[in-house]
Parts: sequence; C-alpha cells; structure tokens
Amino acid sequence: MLLATRNLARDRTRLALSVTGVALAVMLILLLGGYRAGIYRQTATYLDHVPGSLVVVERGVRDFLGTNSILPPGAAQAAATTPGVARVVPVLSQSAIVELHGRKQLALLIGYEPGRGGGPWSLATGREPAADGEVVIDRVMASEHGIGLEDRITILDRGETVVGLASGTSLWIGSLVFARASTIEALVRAPGARSFLFLTPAAGVSPDALRLRLAIPGADAILKSDMIAADQRLLARVYDTAIGLMTAIAFLVGVLVVGLVVYTATVERRREYGAFKAIGARNRVLFRIVALQALVAGTAGAALGTLLAVAAGWLLVAWRPQFPVAIEPSAVVLALLASVAMAVLAALVPARAMARLAPAEVFR
Amino acid sequence: MTTCTLEARDVTKRYGDGEAAVVAVRGVSLRVEPGEIVLIMGPSGSGKTTLLSMLGALLRPTAGTVSLDGTVLSELSEGRLPDIRLHRFGFIFQDFNLLSALTVWENVAIVAELAGLRGRAARERATAILTELGLGARLDFLPDRLSGGEKQRVAIARALVNDPALILADEPTANLDSAIGHEIMRLLRGIAKEQGRSVVIVSHDQRIRDIADRVLWLEDGAFQDEIALAVDPVCGMSVERERAASATRDGALFYFCSRGCRAEFLNGPPSA
Repeated sequence: MLLATRNLARDRTRLALSVTGVALAVMLILLLGGYRAGIYRQTATYLDHVPGSLVVVERGVRDFLGTNSILPPGAAQAAATTPGVARVVPVLSQSAIVELHGRKQLALLIGYEPGRGGGPWSLATGREPAADGEVVIDRVMASEHGIGLEDRITILDRGETVVGLASGTSLWIGSLVFARASTIEALVRAPGARSFLFLTPAAGVSPDALRLRLAIPGADAILKSDMIAADQRLLARVYDTAIGLMTAIAFLVGVLVVGLVVYTATVERRREYGAFKAIGARNRVLFRIVALQALVAGTAGAALGTLLAVAAGWLLVAWRPQFPVAIEPSAVVLALLASVAMAVLAALVPARAMARLAPAEVFR
Repeated sequence: MTTCTLEARDVTKRYGDGEAAVVAVRGVSLRVEPGEIVLIMGPSGSGKTTLLSMLGALLRPTAGTVSLDGTVLSELSEGRLPDIRLHRFGFIFQDFNLLSALTVWENVAIVAELAGLRGRAARERATAILTELGLGARLDFLPDRLSGGEKQRVAIARALVNDPALILADEPTANLDSAIGHEIMRLLRGIAKEQGRSVVIVSHDQRIRDIADRVLWLEDGAFQDEIALAVDPVCGMSVERERAASATRDGALFYFCSRGCRAEFLNGPPSA
C-alpha cells in the first residue's frame, strides 16, 4: 500500500492526469445515465400525475406517447357504470405541431374535463383553461419562445390564448399543452372523442380484478404501470443504444487513461521492481502494488467525477431545463463500481509486464 | 543467522539452441564456506553475472546443480524460490536499485515486511541496521538525496535486514569513488568476518582482492587457474602469468598485460 501510494504521489502530474481522465469518464457516464434517468422520469410524468391505476385504451394500444388511441363511443359511460369503478378521468390526447412565434415545436395536446382531473398538476403562473380557446403550456417552452400569459399561439392552424404556464410538463418528444377537452375536439375535428379513460378502482377492488371485470367493446383495459413500461420501452428503442454506446466509449477512455498512466509508471520503474522481485517479492505483491495504484487513481477519479457530474448536471438543468439530469444514488454506486472495473482492467497489462519481469535482469 | 554452505556443481548456462546457442557458463564448480569472501573476476562477457544469478537462485542452470546446505535450489519450483531469496540471500546491486519513492528506512523496512515482520518491528530493525551503517541521520531521506556511497550502504542494510547467511554482490564498488569504495569493502569484510556471513562478489575492481579470501578468474564461462594470475603494476589489469610478458626489477618478477606496459615499467624510475 505504502509503495503504491508513494509511487503515485511521486509523479503528481501523472496522478493528476489519471485522476482527471477517470473523473471525466465518470462524469460523462453519470451525466449520460442521469440524462437517461431524467427522460425516463419525464416519460412517466403525466401518467404519474393523472389519477387512477387502470387505463382504458383503444383495442391494441399499449402506450400513451407513441400511438393515437380513439375509444369507441359510449366507452366512458360503460366504464363509469362498471361495478367497482370509483372514478373515471376521460382524456383526449393528440400529438400536434405548435407554432410559437414562427417556430414549430412538437407538443402533446391533452384535452381534459375540468373538475374530473387530467389537467396540469402544477401551475407556475396563470390559471387553468376556463373556456374554449384557452390553453396552458409548459413553462420551459414558454420561456424558450418568449411567450407569456395572454399571448396567442397557433395550434393546428387555430389561434389559442395562453392562460397558464405549467411546471414539470416537458417530455422528450415535446411539451404538454393542456386545454379543455372541447377545445381539442374542435382542433382535431373529432367531437365527443376520447383517447383514454383513467380509472380508479373502488375501495377493496384491486386494479387487476377491475381489469378483468371491464368489458367494453373495441377497448382494452391495461394497468397504468404497464402503460408506463410500454412508453419506456419505446423510449429505450430511441435512446438506449446511443446512450449505451457513449457510456461504453467513456468507460473505455477511462480504462485507457488509467491503464496508460499505470503502465508507464510501471515500465519506468521496471528496474526497481526487478530488484524487488530479485530480493524475494512475489508476483502477487507486485500485482497488488500495480492494482492499488490503479484503484487509488480510479477511486479518486470517481469521487471527483461524481462532484463534476452533479455540478455539470445542475448547470445543464439551469441552462436548458428541457434536458433533465437525474443523478440517482444507484447511478453513483454504479459509477464507482465502473471506476473499480476501470482500475482492474487498467492494471491487467502492467501486471502482465510485472509477471514477465525476470529477476535476473536486474544484474544486467 | 544460521551459517550455510553454497555449492555449485558443474553448472552450465546456455542461451538459445542449435547453432545460435551461446554458452555463458560452462561446467563451473564452486563451494563457498561460511564466513568466506569469494571474489569472482574476469573480463566483460565472461559469464560472471550469469554465474552470480544462478548462485542467487535468480536463474536456473541449463545443467549442473546449485545447492544450499544440501538443498538443490535449481530443482525447487519457482514458487519456493522467492522465500529462499528473501531469507537466505542478501543482494547488493551495482546500481543500488533502491525504490525511489520510499525513504531510506522504508526501503529497508519493506524488505523486512516481505519476510513477515510487521509495522514498528520492521521499522525498528531497519533503523538499527541503518544506524549501525552510519545512516542514522539519513533515515527520512529519499534515495535521490543520497550520495553514491550512502545509497550503497542503504542497499547493504537492505541486504542484511533479514539476516541472510549469504551476501551476493554485483560490482558493489563500480559506481563509487576510491574512498567510498574502500569503505564499502571494509563493510563487506566486516559482514563476513565479524558476522560470519559468506560473501560472493563479482567485480572488475582490483582493490577488492585485498579483502577476498579467494579470487577466482572466470573467462569464457569457465574458471581459470587462479594461481596463474598476477596484476600488471602499470595498468592494474589482472593477467595470466603463463601468457603475460614479464620483467625482473630489484630481484622481483613482474607480469604485464602488454609489451607497452612492460616498456613503460622498465623505463620508469626504479622502485623504492
């Protein structure tokens, strides 16, 4: 332990280089993981806030964000009269291009019936829509486009008035725009249409039992948790490969930086280690020295990288609130494990060089 | 410390195979008794270092045996050799080979720790030996702040810390000036004569002959007749008496490495 730490401390530039290398790799891993966790959290944000644990959807539809659902006429009535249903929240949703001061942005329109739920859960300013032609938009989207209360925005060629700004309603596919259901019906030219019914089971009735009890022609009932999972699978198809690839590259860069630094430090001291081996040090003692050097550099780098990631995540969210970064404790634990893995992998090549070192070389 | 006898029998070391094979040591036999100082000399490339490596269980002979008190080292598995080297041998290297990141006492204590001594005990033993060797004021110095002589004394302390019966030294005075070289020689003599350890030294340094009990001349991988050796009084080289040019002055016979040295000697002032 002493020799490993002293060797590191003797070459401060090299130590700083390896710690920085690991720190940057860990920071990148944590930021990418944090961004992934953040968008996963965003994906579920509407479903988490709308009341109910069961969702009635058009037959065959399984997700909330990726597929349009139009329920058959009478579905809401059928659901409301099913024994064991305590509450029904009908929602009409539709993806649409919203024109904001000449710039177009994808949004998810949510039409809800005031008093029944399904509307914005946290208003930063303003009020909920009280009449047709009024909308509540996301606060971040409004800020980006310089939109304030009473401003007019164009949705599907119709002008609407912004009466409220909602918090926490940004999604990876765009922002939520809330309006009365009748407003959205008019926009999509589908009078009386509903996309989803969110059902709350009565006391003593489990969601699964209610699901089996519901029999609405042309519609399915699914658990809300299954719908969230389906949305996240959809998200995973879009994001996970890219994020996984970038995380793997960051990990590899970390391994290479530590590996190169420890290898160089080992080769430079080849003669010293040879003498140590000649005197009687076993290979495992030398491996331990190399591995400890890599571990110290890796752990210090992970600690620094975690601090950098938290700071960078905070700055990123402050600068661009639509990019959520949620660094969770489990992600930090994983990053620490990754740094240990980096250190172990990085120590392999120098350890091999140690094993091949012939003690007799020291006399030459 | 338990005294022991090191013996090499018909030891040969060959590198490579077939026509490209090079025989570094051929059929050498040697026995080193407890408390004896054996100096192995010879020209560069004669096989001295290879022989020393085999005596110290750092290199396996191609043929023959190296044994320590009857235990044939060259037949032991690789896994057993580090312990033998750690407890039975002390190594002194030409370039000192101290661990540059550790202080003087740490360089010595770490070897005691390898042998199983822990923490304070290792430090105390290292400090005692270093103080005995005159390095009490240098305990916390890093090696790069020491003179060559001090580094070699640290190396000697490191070689002694596990109380070995045998010291193997490779050119221990090569990087030292004359005065420091003598001091190291005095130390090595004390190690043998006062502490009863065997010392095997490989060197080109003629001064070490003064402390050696036995001088062996290795050439082309084999020992030559040591009785036939003499020192050229002009250049100081060891020469074979039978083959060397010679001259008599003041009734004494002298041997020379070349006719040039002989002429220089004969044309110089008469000896006192």
